[in-house]
Amino acid sequence: MKNTLGRRNFIKLTASASGALVVGLHYQSCMPNKQKAENYGFVPLIQIDTDGWVTLIAKNPEIGQGVKTTLPMILAEELGADWEKVRVVQGDFDTSYEEQWAGGSYAVVLNWDLMRTAGARVRHALIAAASQQMEVPASELTTRKGDVVHEKTNRTIPFGELVVSASTITLPEEVDFRPTESYEIVGKICPQVDLEKMVSGTVPYCIDLHLPDMVYATVVKTPVHRGKVQSFDDTQTRSVAGVTNVIELDNSEYGGRLLDANSPNFVNGVAVLANSTWAAFRGAEKLEVVWDNTNSRQEASAGIFKKFHDQLAETSVERQDGNIEEAKKRAVSYVEHVYEVPFLAHVTMEPMNCTVHFRSDICEVWAPTQNPAALEAGLVKLFGLKPEQIKIHLPRIGGGFGRRFYVDYAMDAAILSKKMGKPVKLIWTREEDVKHDWYRPASVQKISAALDENGKVIGWQQILANASRKTSLGRDGGPAGTEIDEYDFPAGFVPNLQFEYGHVLSDVPLGQWRAVGPTATAFAAHSFLNELAVFNKKDHIDYFMEFLGPPRMVPVVGEFKYDTGRLRAVVDKVRQNSGWDTPLQEGQGRGFAAHRQAGSFVAEVVTVEVGGNNQLKIIRVDAVVDCGLVVNPSGAEAQVEGAILEGLCAALYGEITIKDGATVQSNFHDYRWMRLNEIPEMHVEFIKNDLPPRGLGEPPLPPAAPALANAIYAATGKRIRKLPVGSQIQTG
Amino acid sequence: MASFTLTVNNKKRTFSAEPDTPLLWVLRDILGLTGTKYACGKGICGSCTVIVNGKSVRSCAMAIQYIGKDEVLTIEGLSEGADHPIQKAWIAADVPQCGYCQPGFIMSTFDLLSNNPEPSDEEINQALQGNICRCGTYTRIRKAIQIAITETEN
Ligand code: FES
Ligand code: FES
Repeated sequence: MKNTLGRRNFIKLTASASGALVVGLHYQSCMPNKQKAENYGFVPLIQIDTDGWVTLIAKNPEIGQGVKTTLPMILAEELGADWEKVRVVQGDFDTSYEEQWAGGSYAVVLNWDLMRTAGARVRHALIAAASQQMEVPASELTTRKGDVVHEKTNRTIPFGELVVSASTITLPEEVDFRPTESYEIVGKICPQVDLEKMVSGTVPYCIDLHLPDMVYATVVKTPVHRGKVQSFDDTQTRSVAGVTNVIELDNSEYGGRLLDANSPNFVNGVAVLANSTWAAFRGAEKLEVVWDNTNSRQEASAGIFKKFHDQLAETSVERQDGNIEEAKKRAVSYVEHVYEVPFLAHVTMEPMNCTVHFRSDICEVWAPTQNPAALEAGLVKLFGLKPEQIKIHLPRIGGGFGRRFYVDYAMDAAILSKKMGKPVKLIWTREEDVKHDWYRPASVQKISAALDENGKVIGWQQILANASRKTSLGRDGGPAGTEIDEYDFPAGFVPNLQFEYGHVLSDVPLGQWRAVGPTATAFAAHSFLNELAVFNKKDHIDYFMEFLGPPRMVPVVGEFKYDTGRLRAVVDKVRQNSGWDTPLQEGQGRGFAAHRQAGSFVAEVVTVEVGGNNQLKIIRVDAVVDCGLVVNPSGAEAQVEGAILEGLCAALYGEITIKDGATVQSNFHDYRWMRLNEIPEMHVEFIKNDLPPRGLGEPPLPPAAPALANAIYAATGKRIRKLPVGSQIQTG
Repeated sequence: MASFTLTVNNKKRTFSAEPDTPLLWVLRDILGLTGTKYACGKGICGSCTVIVNGKSVRSCAMAIQYIGKDEVLTIEGLSEGADHPIQKAWIAADVPQCGYCQPGFIMSTFDLLSNNPEPSDEEINQALQGNICRCGTYTRIRKAIQIAITETEN
């Protein structure tokens, strides 16, 4: 295989002062846009020291998705390094790294070629240097476990001895990639980076940072969304020993409440600063704030959902195939159901926090962020800084799930550090985190199907109504931004298909979530398909396979099409693995759903038991995944299990409700998460192939909820059309 | 401010703090032992679990004034080089995802296995029900505990 990134000089070798070979990305010379090119410098990716140690820079933020291990594994593989002699170092934020963010299951997808190209070019340089030294043709040489190897004569030269001469080699435009059959690191179980430190409590998360002269801070934000401070009395707060300052955070001083990835801002409130976290927390508890809620719609959940339901009648068409009305007329039967999903929080285990040291010339930030570019943009916008005055460090992060796409907490910390003239470590309490999240959008969906005399779907109409993420992020008057996408399933599978979107304005702050959109649309679609199978008195999986039709490339939108053969294969396999066709005991049931996202295919079967007292227990989950080549098998399995549990957990308990314009929930007692005693047996299998690796963090999540709801139906005959399952069945 | 002396990870530590400060914040902000994590602050997630006089406690919900001269063991005191049998089991099972909850789970497991070297599944559930892993590493946690039990037996 040839590398496909033919950009000139895109990867460059240099020798460092210590004599090490440093290889990095250098976009400047290949950027067509001169002005943009000036923003790009040289950023290191690989360093080989004369003692043979290889240092690999992990460029993307590590939120627990394993990217700090997975991307370096790809580099090390192409290089032919010895994983035992590889050190991985987290890179700071630098625009020159490009795509330095965590989200959308894209890390491996976007970096696969880049990492391989960088590794392969360095391998080429090392081989060229060894070929001169050994006086044999380069074509007879290869690299393995940190050595250049000449198999014919059984000679080896360690990388460390080649770095000086290799640094003078001119890199070729094109290099070969290693054949996948020869992989020794990719696709193998490699101990993950930071593993020992994580089990020793010595890996530093952002929240663990300590700087000399640092001030501790916390915030009290407006409980009512879109409220602001009218006045506050801090007498009691200041009487708490250790409290030093109380500072109002007013976003109107910084251009108002505009919040999206490109123009971040923060929520109004009051910050308490102290000489310890505890003093700040105690001081915050004692703060008496009078809030101005004149900008609030004073919403309540029931009212919001009523608006969503009403809005189903007033929509815009987002996709139209064939003629749905005509199909309805032709239909022999007609099925229609309505589904509801709630707002969901992220509750990352490490609460929102950020440390900033704002000096006269430089603003230095340590942030648990999935989106450092947005953080930089925010600092530029709020303080008029130039990018070169901003330095962002990316410590290991205690969970992301989309929450840390938004950088509101970092803006808080920056403002406070600037005002204090000192480093500030800001920690939000869990309560603030739950109340001031950017929630997964709630929605109401209505699906109608027109069926022919054989029960085949000839028309599918899916209407989604809700408040849109895009509007919530600051564009009240602007275009809504649909929450049902033209490429959502089952687009491409039904001749007469219509997707519609009804938009409602709301104050509830909305944002990304793991797998976000399909967590609603796939729940409805796959619950509905189960209802159709029941309606037609067919086995769900049989009916689903008929719905998919024979293996073929199905065009979805424009150029985008996919191979239903891969989808069918994961379904077949999960049918086998789960024992789908074997009988269950009384009170037990199996449910199925399948999904395609980020280029990967997943099929899941959930098995539940509902006891005599209506008590639900999830007994077992089977998942089969085709994500192309599996780069990091241990990490991949962990991602699948984590995503499925997150889907199940949200389906069972997840619900943020709104009362008088404020979020009701505040901590893990009223925003429940599954615990060890509730965890089902998990069986995860990957389809083996060496197609290009695709995303994995999100695709296994959306099928979990519909598979669970379908299993509950199979066990009890009770249909769950509204999440969470909550009190509809006794849970946990 | 009052002066306190505690034995933490076998070392005597004398420091001053407000008496109502939870042990969690003493460990983290005063003693620099940041392996013990804050996640809920209300005793409901287990992230801040440490061992006080041989029993696991939620350090976020225990004010320093009630601890007196007790012996405290934190994740940092479990071993020198991540080689306590429980840590080794955690490594073998490649448990952590984000890793943030793991010190709490490990300390809860330490308490369990110190008092009951061969717990049943039910007893494991019982002992670890107070801990939350947001990333969903539970299957591997269970596997790691089984490894630790077998290793300790041998
Ligand atoms: S932080 Fe102490 S139990 Fe959650
Ligand atoms: S590993 Fe992330 S919370 Fe447990």
